[in-house]
Amino acid sequence: MIPAALTNPAPWEVLACCLALLIAPTVASQQRSNRWILVGVIAMLVATLFAPTGPLAYVAAAVASLLHAAAAVSRSRTGAASLVIAAGLIAGAAVALRLDYLTTAFVLSCLALAVRTGVMPLHAGVASLCDRAMVVHVQQLPSAIALVFVHLRFVDHHAGALALAPTIVRIGAVLTIVPALMALVQRDLRGLYRSSTAMHGGMLLAALGAASLDNYAAALLVAVTMGLALGGLGLMLTSLEERVGPVQYSGPGGRIQAFPRLAAAFVIFGAAGVGLPGTAGFVADDLLLHTLWLESPASTVTVIVSSALLAVSTLICFARVFLGPAARSVAPDLRTREALGGALLIVLLLVLGVVPGTLLGPADAFLSDVGGTALSGR
Amino acid sequence: MSELLAFALAVTVLAPLASVTVVGFRVLLGTRPASESFAAVVIGAGLVLSMIGGMTTLACFAGLGGAPLRGEVEFGDWLRLNDFEIPAVLLVDFISVTLSLLAAVLTALVARFSRTYLHKEPGFVRFFVLLGIFATGTQLIALAGALELFFAGWEMVGISSALFIGFFHERAEPVRSAVRAFATYRLSDTGLLIATVTTFELLGSARFSVMEQAATLGPGATTAIALLFLLSAMGKSAQLPFSGWLPRAMEGPTPSSALFYGAVSIHAGLFLLLRVWPVLEASLVARVAGVIVGLATALYAAGVVRVHTDAKGTLAHATLAQVGLILAEICLGWIELALVHLVCHALLRLGQYLKAPNLIHDSHRMGHEHRHPSLLERRAPQLAGRLYAASLHRLRLDDRIDVAFSPVLRLAAMLDRADRRLRGSLSLDGVPE
Repeated sequence: MIPAALTNPAPWEVLACCLALLIAPTVASQQRSNRWILVGVIAMLVATLFAPTGPLAYVAAAVASLLHAAAAVSRSRTGAASLVIAAGLIAGAAVALRLDYLTTAFVLSCLALAVRTGVMPLHAGVASLCDRAMVVHVQQLPSAIALVFVHLRFVDHHAGALALAPTIVRIGAVLTIVPALMALVQRDLRGLYRSSTAMHGGMLLAALGAASLDNYAAALLVAVTMGLALGGLGLMLTSLEERVGPVQYSGPGGRIQAFPRLAAAFVIFGAAGVGLPGTAGFVADDLLLHTLWLESPASTVTVIVSSALLAVSTLICFARVFLGPAARSVAPDLRTREALGGALLIVLLLVLGVVPGTLLGPADAFLSDVGGTALSGR
Repeated sequence: MSELLAFALAVTVLAPLASVTVVGFRVLLGTRPASESFAAVVIGAGLVLSMIGGMTTLACFAGLGGAPLRGEVEFGDWLRLNDFEIPAVLLVDFISVTLSLLAAVLTALVARFSRTYLHKEPGFVRFFVLLGIFATGTQLIALAGALELFFAGWEMVGISSALFIGFFHERAEPVRSAVRAFATYRLSDTGLLIATVTTFELLGSARFSVMEQAATLGPGATTAIALLFLLSAMGKSAQLPFSGWLPRAMEGPTPSSALFYGAVSIHAGLFLLLRVWPVLEASLVARVAGVIVGLATALYAAGVVRVHTDAKGTLAHATLAQVGLILAEICLGWIELALVHLVCHALLRLGQYLKAPNLIHDSHRMGHEHRHPSLLERRAPQLAGRLYAASLHRLRLDDRIDVAFSPVLRLAAMLDRADRRLRGSLSLDGVPE
């Protein structure tokens, strides 16, 4: 019998998004990636998304996390340590799932996701990756998306998850407003990126809580959008810093004339992250708000306000980095390969924004239906 | 005939979007900068097509060549997931057709005007891309049959508006003004977003056609939703206390000021209230609040307009005064009057704004008229002096909002310091300064 994961389009579509996100930095960045690690991560991604049983999928996700840690260790020991801790939590979830401790598996899986996506206060590792190894951070986002997929598929379908849902939704909502506020007072580009990452992590956590109420597809779209928008923003940030060094708000802005394409891509990714209409961010935010409402209207309001604050911070950042008296630069604008990497992610964001049903329909059918089968076949 | 209407509606909304996409990808992927003529022709074609679509829609609505076609036109679902739907539905009625055609014609006119006005301006291509985004947004606002689509258009107008204000980004002031306008928009938009989610959850749909059922929700829920709509309208239409961004918005190029703050965008908040009128009608509290806000804004703007000496600033406050009056008319239930007032006001202001650069030339040619003291200045000079000073400082609205917002910034700074300490204590590599 052919496993359901192979016949449903959802895992394939998630795999396509993950591969794009994994390959885009390799195409765009001048930094050499370790090819063996990249091949290993791709293999683990496939194994995570298509594994027939939960424990196997979690083991693959844990190995992927360790591979990312290996890639990060030379530049960010904190980041590498957090990825190792995440791998331990994921492995714990695999064991708990194997032993039928579903609630334990759910909690460990949530914690692993919180560490991987930089939810406060477990964000020290991801923040360090953002500061010191941006490419590794971007490349670990696809396997975080795959981990969300596994979480939704294998551990989010039982009474324990349902009982914990209200708490997780509320915690997630609170953890969006804190980094959104912090984003307002950042003084450099990486600071905004860190805050933005933490805020999206909080949104994802809230979405995972609400997913237990049969809103699996919403959580998946939030994860994919987060990956694409933050990944694209990270790429543009790296490209800019390769040209002008670390970017402080207090320094001269005015880079839009020297780097118009980079500025345009920065705007698109930044806006997609805060729900620009026409991008996946808009649909993801809308869907998330409706699903959160079922659990907690106050959390919905909190997430809306957080998103508004982050939008303001993003525009402030854009204004201070790119606008102002024209700065002279001999560095070129986005090179073709950087533009291609960015364009790939932009196309995905637009496709998922205009026809979100292509991912959400199959994903909803697959994740809603597969839970029972997966549990029984564990 | 109904197929023609659906096609016309689709063209009206999508033609500007398609033209923006073409120019956008050319800018992003092209090896050389896009030329002025390329951007102007492609975006212009999108705007003309949109205008033709709007006229065809009007013809179908009026019943030229068949029975009049009105009501919702379905284009399937943007998204459907279990009980949740974001319908791709457009609404054809008197209000939507009026605003759609008005916006399409005025945007196309401004595009033609700008092609000459902004010739050889460094941001020419950017201007036309933003114009295309704005056109798509206004058509969505005008024709949307559900709040989600409406909100999509609302956001597109907000983003393009902020980027237009900061168009001359080499100077610091336009950039600051753009950020302030966007912050006002985005924070007041939270009202619309919360109202959208609430309406969907309480009424089972966010289509405008279900707004009639708002009265069944009970006074508390109806008033809350109506006040949220009002909050959003106040932000978008620069009503008190959010009026501070409008004069700052005059930093943008004159054609965009004309289109946004004279003709179309400034009236978007009023259009929202016209669209959700059944909800507003069911809430006396919201209507009274709307009348008070509208009249207060009109008074404030009338005071400020008397002391302003720059052409666009004067026009901005004159616009604000009229918009305040239209808001009061809507909340008083004078819907038809408000709609006529809105259309006439948009047309008048567009002409005045576009002519503003000639005003100095005209005033030199025609001479200045000596201003006689008003009755208040003769009878109560001290009070008149105080009012003059208050108007000159625009009631220090922006300062007051900054003061009100400062505790939030202090809290944010405190959280940031705590976060740095936490990361510092957990980090193996140290935290960069």
